[in-house]
Amino acid sequence: MQFALPPRKGPAVAPYSRSPFLTYQRRKQLKALGVLSIALLAIFFLLSQLFYSSTGTTAAPIGTSSLVIVTVLDRTLYSDGYLQKITQNREDYAQRHGYTNFFANLSDYDSYLGSAPRSWGIVPAVRHAMAAYPSSTYFFHLDPNALFMDPSKTLESHLLDKHRLEALMRRDVPVVPPDSIIKTFVHLLPEDIDLMITTDAEDLDTGSFILRQGDFARFFLDTWFDPLYRSYNFAKAETHTLEHIVQWHPTVLARLALIPQRVINAYSKDSPAAGVDGIYKEGDLIIRFFGCDTDPKRSCESELDRYYNLWMKKLKVE
Amino acid sequence: MSLTRSPSPRPGGGWSSPGSGTSTPHAGLYPSSPSDPWLAAKAKSDEVRGYPSFSTRNNGFFSRSKRQITATLPRFRGARSPRAYSEKDGYTHGRGRGWRSMWFGRTVLRRRRARFLLALGFLLLGYLFFWTSFVEIFRRSTFGGGRKFVIILESNIEGGVMEWKGAREWAIERNSVSNKKDYAQRWGYRLETVNMLAKKRYSHEWREGWEKVDILRETMRKYPDAEWFWWLDLNTFIMEPSYSLQKHLFSRLGEISYRDINEYNPLNITHPPVQLYLDELSRSAAGDNNPSSIHFLLSQDCGGFNLGSFFVHRSLWSERLLDIWWDPLTYEQRHMQWEHKEQDALEYIYASQPWVRNSVAFVPQRYINSFPPGACGDEMDPKVHYMEGGRDFLVNMAGCDFGRDCWDEMYQYREYSAWLNRGLWERVKDGYDDMHYAIFGGS
Repeated sequence: MQFALPPRKGPAVAPYSRSPFLTYQRRKQLKALGVLSIALLAIFFLLSQLFYSSTGTTAAPIGTSSLVIVTVLDRTLYSDGYLQKITQNREDYAQRHGYTNFFANLSDYDSYLGSAPRSWGIVPAVRHAMAAYPSSTYFFHLDPNALFMDPSKTLESHLLDKHRLEALMRRDVPVVPPDSIIKTFVHLLPEDIDLMITTDAEDLDTGSFILRQGDFARFFLDTWFDPLYRSYNFAKAETHTLEHIVQWHPTVLARLALIPQRVINAYSKDSPAAGVDGIYKEGDLIIRFFGCDTDPKRSCESELDRYYNLWMKKLKVE
Repeated sequence: MSLTRSPSPRPGGGWSSPGSGTSTPHAGLYPSSPSDPWLAAKAKSDEVRGYPSFSTRNNGFFSRSKRQITATLPRFRGARSPRAYSEKDGYTHGRGRGWRSMWFGRTVLRRRRARFLLALGFLLLGYLFFWTSFVEIFRRSTFGGGRKFVIILESNIEGGVMEWKGAREWAIERNSVSNKKDYAQRWGYRLETVNMLAKKRYSHEWREGWEKVDILRETMRKYPDAEWFWWLDLNTFIMEPSYSLQKHLFSRLGEISYRDINEYNPLNITHPPVQLYLDELSRSAAGDNNPSSIHFLLSQDCGGFNLGSFFVHRSLWSERLLDIWWDPLTYEQRHMQWEHKEQDALEYIYASQPWVRNSVAFVPQRYINSFPPGACGDEMDPKVHYMEGGRDFLVNMAGCDFGRDCWDEMYQYREYSAWLNRGLWERVKDGYDDMHYAIFGGS
């Protein structure tokens, strides 16, 4: 018989041709295998997560505050009444926002200072507070000659919040005023920041700074407190040492944010050397009577009283 | 030969069979001959009866030379040769048709076997010539783990600026560098030979010694995927190249290292720190006891820290340490006392800054930094000095340029290391020599 077209191939496949790679059977098998392996992986992942959390860092106990206010009190220098006003002001602020106060005795650290000026005591005091509250995150060192004037502001919303901090960080400015050639880094992210500090017209201001607990804090405080720095006879002791560290050691600078002075460190009108826009204005969180203890013409107690009364009035209104 | 056994009944050796001459039926007609069927049958039955063949084969003169003897004897037609028996045992070849067909089958077999042997030979050759390089390539790859380690070797110290570099200095350098190169090649590590040329940059304003820190930082930047950086002085020699860093140190870091410096404390550093303001971790003697928090590994000699051979782990911690290791203020105050520059500075930081201690771990000196006799006092101290037979990893000829001969020491240790790690053949030869010496004496 003759056909115009060659006959179609029948369903029977030539015995030597390879069967298609994915037969129905095999596809089914593969599918089952895939589902099984995914399920196994998921179970493994879940289990590892479960067991990992148990070996990981211990969660902070309930009730620990996120922030500790560190105050170093020199009981030989100030009267009890004066110190009471300060502590009362801080206790009130801490209580409102669930913070903790750590009042350190300067005399506790005398034996570690050697012949160095007593102002060095703030460094071991912050380290001490960190040891005392190991699960708190932020440690706010505030000079005793200062008052919280606007107790309604939380430090989180005022400074520590990521977006807020990003807006406040001063980039590419000399770390040590007025004209250090070392400038703060431009590309720092708020997540990298462990130390928030301000400058006045002359110096980095050690009277008010916030330090985040962790490896950096340990490193930073121990370096700062190095015996050879203490014995170096800097004119401004720990302040100049801090300036030295910040300018010579980029690992510190990379963790530091300079913030505008008035955020946590507004100076009173009588204080010298306030930075640009550093004088206290109504509504600022904090007022500091900077230099009232070193200048013999000034009196911390009388300067404080005026603002203390203002603060008391505010409390009564509420 | 034992007499309880019947001696060989083999023909040709007519002497042996007791009474063989008398009891044969053809005894009168024929002389006793090798083709005597009775004798042959007797021999055969003797064998079958289970006398072990070892006593009857190749023993004595006659049985050994029977072939020659029988060949010279006359042969009788129709007589069955005793060889007919032995033929089945495959002693003789080359007769008969059936054998030829067997030959054909054997060639096929043999060809197959030859092919198999050839393949085996190739495999063996490949193993001999390429296996080591294959292993090395694997170790150097991402999976091998060799990339995690970088060896930093100082070289060209001062670059001949202060003193003329003679043949010995060059020889030391050549040997030291090739020693580390071979080691790095073997384990897939990376070797960074750094030029310690004296630079003006480091020779003023109390900047001496900063270069070590700078080099460490640069190397960390250069090898971003490496984890451990091993600093080695030039005057060091790796005695046991078969020890990998992983196996020798890092897989058992928790067992061999110690963080409580009181274990061996030549500097009398107060440990742990007791200041009241410190946290628990800083005040604990052994730190957190977690090997993964070790970022700096070194050994102590009789005089304190030794930085001839130490390891730095890439981490934030080490970045900080490298950053504050050199500080112009501290160095300005102490550079007259700090004879060993960076070593003293590190000791000072360790002693005065508690944050450092948790991540600094020590290993006993002979794990990474054995001293030759002459360093650290003249008497031998098993904690400090390289001992023969101890198979220490590395020798640091510390202080050899003060009254000792660096090149001589390096040469001695190079030869000793080569001898310790000699190959199998040399071992056999040496063993033979020793035996020879033990038996015959003399040299």
